[in-house]
Amino acid sequence: MFERFTQEARQVVVSSQDEARQLHHNFIGTEHLLLGLLDQAGSPTCAVFERHGLTRTAAVEVLRRFAGQEQLDAAALGTVGIDLDAVRNSVEATFGAGALDVPSPDKGREVKGHIPFTRRAKKVLELSLREAVAMKSDGIADGHIALGLLREGDGVAMKMLADRGVDPAALREEITTVLSA
Amino acid sequence: MADTAEVASAAGSRDPAVGLSAVRSLRILVERLETLQVQNARDQGWTYEQIAQRLGVSRQAVHKKHAGGRGPLRRRG
Repeated sequence: MFERFTQEARQVVVSSQDEARQLHHNFIGTEHLLLGLLDQAGSPTCAVFERHGLTRTAAVEVLRRFAGQEQLDAAALGTVGIDLDAVRNSVEATFGAGALDVPSPDKGREVKGHIPFTRRAKKVLELSLREAVAMKSDGIADGHIALGLLREGDGVAMKMLADRGVDPAALREEITTVLSA
Repeated sequence: MADTAEVASAAGSRDPAVGLSAVRSLRILVERLETLQVQNARDQGWTYEQIAQRLGVSRQAVHKKHAGGRGPLRRRG
């Protein structure tokens, strides 16, 4: 199937693999495909996502929150009189160093070699082919992968969109327009 | 934290950005502490029922949140 991918679409797949590796995930899920799409600065599809408020930075933040790995903001806590260092010291005295940090289960483990797609991510890529065929496009572009994500409709990527208040129908329409241009 | 007056004025800040950021960070902190304390209780042999009573929530709520895979990242294949 990858032989039908355009250069941009291939780059999305490569980027999604890099994203998974950076996050120490040993799989490529829909969330990594979404990050891969958002990595393509300058791509019209990427621009549509950004117009809807979903930049790569925002997406990473959402994902971090999903994993319970948000950064504690000492300055913000200070404004309501909470001394994060004091809390940290107290907690660490009982539970040991780093007790307040959420350890990623995969952290430290380097993910090497080939990273497999999840079943849902594979489905998204299949659907992107179908989207390209339906639009009578020459190849599968990055926009078709985005449409595949929306068509599949139920992965972590969709939860990220919902979290950011992105309207999938509007997104779909705009990406289709961009692809037809 | 040295300037008490500054802290007090920030706590009552009219600027939503300041107030909301504080609320958000508090929520994260609460979640961290809850995870830590629930784990500690479990390690010491507490049941979810006992933990729930202390937290003032239902046993089901504690179990759903802290037992096994949880949150939006749970995969259903």
